[in-house]
Amino acid sequence: MSIVQNNSEKSKWYLPGILTGMGITMKHLVQNLLNKKQMTTLNYPEEKYEYGPRFKGNHILTVKQDGSLRCTACMLCATNCPAECIKITASEHSDPAVEKFPINYEIDMLRCVFCGFCEEACPVDAIRLGPEWQTPGISGANFTYDINHLAHRPSLKGGILTHVDDQERHKSGI
Amino acid sequence: MPKCTINGKEIEVKAGATIMEAMYQLKEPIAHYCYHPGLSVAGVCRLCIVDIEGQPRPQIACNTQVTEGMKVSNTSEKLKDGIKWVLDFHLINHPLDCPICDQAGECGLQDQYMQYGKYDPEMAEKKVKKHKVVDLGPTVVLDSERCILCSRCVRFTEEVSKTNELGIFNRGDRSEIGTADGKLLDNKYSLNTVDICPVGALTSKDFRFRQRVWYLKDSETVCNGCSTGCNVKVYFNKEGLFRVKPVQNDQVNGHWMCDEGRNTYKFVNSEVRLLKGRVSTSSGVEEKTAGAVAKQASSMLKSAGSDAVLVLSGQFTVEEYESIVSKFVNDFKSKKIYHWNNNKNQMNDFDGLLIRGDKNPNTKGLLKVLEKHGISTSWSDLESALKAGSVKALVVAAPENEEVYADLPQNIQMFSKAQNLIWLSTRKNQALSDLKGNVYQIPMKSYIEKSGTFINHAGLEQKFKRATTIVSEALTLSEAADLLAGQEFKMSSTQIPNVLVEEKRRPDQVMLEHRKKNEFVFRRGTL
Repeated sequence: MSIVQNNSEKSKWYLPGILTGMGITMKHLVQNLLNKKQMTTLNYPEEKYEYGPRFKGNHILTVKQDGSLRCTACMLCATNCPAECIKITASEHSDPAVEKFPINYEIDMLRCVFCGFCEEACPVDAIRLGPEWQTPGISGANFTYDINHLAHRPSLKGGILTHVDDQERHKSGI
Repeated sequence: MPKCTINGKEIEVKAGATIMEAMYQLKEPIAHYCYHPGLSVAGVCRLCIVDIEGQPRPQIACNTQVTEGMKVSNTSEKLKDGIKWVLDFHLINHPLDCPICDQAGECGLQDQYMQYGKYDPEMAEKKVKKHKVVDLGPTVVLDSERCILCSRCVRFTEEVSKTNELGIFNRGDRSEIGTADGKLLDNKYSLNTVDICPVGALTSKDFRFRQRVWYLKDSETVCNGCSTGCNVKVYFNKEGLFRVKPVQNDQVNGHWMCDEGRNTYKFVNSEVRLLKGRVSTSSGVEEKTAGAVAKQASSMLKSAGSDAVLVLSGQFTVEEYESIVSKFVNDFKSKKIYHWNNNKNQMNDFDGLLIRGDKNPNTKGLLKVLEKHGISTSWSDLESALKAGSVKALVVAAPENEEVYADLPQNIQMFSKAQNLIWLSTRKNQALSDLKGNVYQIPMKSYIEKSGTFINHAGLEQKFKRATTIVSEALTLSEAADLLAGQEFKMSSTQIPNVLVEEKRRPDQVMLEHRKKNEFVFRRGTL
């Protein structure tokens, strides 16, 4: 390792710099003690930070008003996925207005890079990246999320409604 | 023979040819839906408009005959604008079904829209709703909203299959494709309507929603469904094969193929395949690699010598027959080679279009090889020999398309009378695994996994190339013949150049060998 040693007179004036730094630290200490609400740090993990609505966390599959999956199994998310972590099995729906739907939708969260390309590719607002990000698991198998988890996990409180509904689309004649 | 100029290129066409045919000859791009080279001209989509010098308005290329000295072009901006608004009319009532439509990815509307369209739709009216998911018959599903009424399918049932099931009902924007009351689209060529449908109105029940087409690779091969030998394209990915489509070959099948031939992919996929070699002897059952089973069988065959008997079905390539027959004749000095003919009675049946009674793709090839080696045996000799129990070792090159071999179960029982049975097959077979005697099962490669030649009913030799590998451990019949004769594998050491890489390379691209050379010449410090 090469170390450049500065032995000039000027370099010996380090004390004012240190004192200035200590001053700033003391200022914040006093400020934080006097006004705890303004403190920028959090008592993690008791307190948790709330991320903005655009945060890309764990995936959510949205549902229609009748509670069924919005996803049409068009595979655009799986095609667009750079990590190739989405696996969909499509099937034929008994209702001709729905026609195609996924009987299996799996995301391998250990492969996922949370880029949000699936959300961007989705033509029907069926997949979104939600605010959750702390999802510990015991074994690797727990990280392959299926429909049950993606659309109906307890934290979603009965499912997230989609913006794009076929009923409205058909009514407006599109 | 009139001459004409198309986009500045001169071409001579046969008398009566249309501009569209001339453009097909020149391989000039032209937008069209209703025209199909295998069908009559309808002229309903109005998309194939071209400028003809001396005519004030654009004309449709599919229904205008070429005249002497005609000057045609379809490159002007004005014409492209015209195509754009014709396309707009096609798309007025077309639903936004691309996410759930099976045709997406190979759809005429998508292609033309990306090339000519890209407009903002100016229709304020509501779209006309029509029937969705109509069950047309055992093979095809119709979605009349997506239909653009090009009438290709209607013309197909009129002209090619001559069954006249389909028609266009109602008028104006309420027109719909359909079948008459109580009728079904049920003929042996019905799935061709799905192929020629330029949009996703007709979809195949078998392929529906199973894969997106952009996940599939394709490769051209020859159908092994019957002795016609239609040229086909198989679509596959790493999970296996998904569908078969016809490829144009005017000598053999034109533009079409039968529905039965589209099922030929099913016996290739790994669910029904024999994946491991299997030896069952009096000491028990053992699973081994294909090569190990073949080596074990070879020592047994050697002891049998000229008593070894070979049974060949007509589903292997000419090269393979040549290899195994010459091994038997030269190495084992046995000429007891029999042709397993499953359909003696329907051998020469023909339905007038494509389907033939002989359900083996290469019967002609097999007979040719047998004739070349001077082998003429009769099946009844084999039967009596087996009944007498005098067959020491029997090698059977079994069919991969077992469904057309109705005599398979009784023949397995008959073959089991041999003291040692070597069964070369692509397929799992429970009846065979249940046999008590000495049985050596060796997995074979199917027609998708090897290159070779089929000779069809008319004696036409058709070469085809390997498409993909499904059971990597399996052997071809030639490899099995080498191993059975106690020889080592002959691996071809010639490296096959990677075509894809070669194509994409820039002419001035610096390759590794250049770099090495440069390193040698411009060594650091010597410059």
